[in-house]
Amino acid sequence: MTTKKPQKNDPQQAKPHGRREFLKGAARAAAVGGAAMLAGCGGGMLGSSEELSLRWKEYFKKNYRLMTQAEKNATIRRLERLAKIKDGVNIQMSSAAPIDGVLFGYAFNVTRCEGYMECVAACVKENNLDRKSNTQYIRIFEMEHGQMSPEVGNAKYFHQVPVEDHFYMGVQCFHCENAPCTKACPTRATWKEPDGIVVVDYDWCIGCRYCMAACPYYGRRFNWNEPQVPLKDMTKKQHYLGNRMRRKGQMEKCTFCVQRSRAGRLPACVEACPTGARVFGNLLDPDSEIRFVLKNKKVFRWKEDLGTDPKFWYFID
Amino acid sequence: MILLAGLAYSTDSGVVQIYKNATAPFDNESPVDADLSLPIKFVRVSEKYQGGDFWTETRKDKMQRFSCSQCHNNQPVRMAQAAEIAHGEIVLVHGSETRPLSCYTCHSKDERDFLVTEQGVKVDMDHPYQMCGQCHFRQKKDWVGGAHGKRISYWAGQRVVTNCTACHDPHSPRFEKRWPKTYSPPLSKTR
Repeated sequence: MTTKKPQKNDPQQAKPHGRREFLKGAARAAAVGGAAMLAGCGGGMLGSSEELSLRWKEYFKKNYRLMTQAEKNATIRRLERLAKIKDGVNIQMSSAAPIDGVLFGYAFNVTRCEGYMECVAACVKENNLDRKSNTQYIRIFEMEHGQMSPEVGNAKYFHQVPVEDHFYMGVQCFHCENAPCTKACPTRATWKEPDGIVVVDYDWCIGCRYCMAACPYYGRRFNWNEPQVPLKDMTKKQHYLGNRMRRKGQMEKCTFCVQRSRAGRLPACVEACPTGARVFGNLLDPDSEIRFVLKNKKVFRWKEDLGTDPKFWYFID
Repeated sequence: MILLAGLAYSTDSGVVQIYKNATAPFDNESPVDADLSLPIKFVRVSEKYQGGDFWTETRKDKMQRFSCSQCHNNQPVRMAQAAEIAHGEIVLVHGSETRPLSCYTCHSKDERDFLVTEQGVKVDMDHPYQMCGQCHFRQKKDWVGGAHGKRISYWAGQRVVTNCTACHDPHSPRFEKRWPKTYSPPLSKTR
């Protein structure tokens, strides 16, 4: 069999008689058998037959990039229904596509940040991060004047801030234009969207953590345990590639709050920042705030020499 | 061939080149199919930013005892210790130690509902940036352009930004030292 390099925007990527089609056939056969078994044992242990059916279909869905819009809508409806059955919670999930003419960029003012960590708390809440292991996408490093790299900073500070002769530097996923993490993934579960956001298809992640090793910025997080979020604190407006609930053994990361940014809103960290140290906007809009910063301020990118081409700049006043 | 060689040796490449090539105006009014309305009141700023008009949130409706002329109207105030009750909480830590600001550096003596600049120009309370910008002109330039202060809720649509006084107490503008909102676990455990 000849291997064809996958083309962008080619819906016919899946081979007609590939492994996936075979699995589908096998799944149908197994479903018939499973249903017969279920009828035999009453189905009490495995949840309702509706839940079983939904989970069965979820198990055999495609990679998000290969789905048609109808298939995206179908999986979103299934996930919403499963959340309702499992936890009794009404979530609204979106599959909003990238907006034409938009490339998201981010700038961080190291002069303005005072280390209050409001952004971290807002991010945990917005993105339904695991409360048990205290997962956080953002790390704020306390640095002495003159230090240049967060690697020598202190991210474990817990005292009143700001401290004299120190500055604060936030680190999160930089959404590199030339992202090493996406190249390391053996299942193509992570990729860069056309609006520049690096996302993960959680259901295609096998949890090998190659991407974590490939990222030079500690931008990725792994679920060592089943993520736990109190239902009353759960953010109900979710995106398939964003803050929907992850499972144990899956990789996750900052998505520039894709559920918010694609609806025109600012990411939660930007909105929560009490000092205005965080600037977010469209790099392709010559009038945007981020372009003003890039044009008029002294900017630098962390580890720029690696060639990762991050869309996250630091600047000073 | 020479052209290609030129591209290869250009100092800007990747995303820097991508954004530098993007010079066409972006339709900021309706890029997203979503409701971008704000539930707050805002006024148009008297200056323009690189993209034209922009707006800032109002201040007068957030001030507890506006309008000032209710009391400051040249009539006797029939209440004991009125000044302490009305303005006793104000702590003025603004300006240098040797030359601190006083009330009338910013507030108008004659028309109490207004502020007044060093040159005697009356300034509406909804437009405090005109006052602050007299000394903090660098910050004001950044605020107009978008490197200081922040937009409210949306990166798209009508540009509405926070006012100076939304973050800074005009009487003691420096941010206070306080406890962080949360803490970070050791790095090795989250990785």
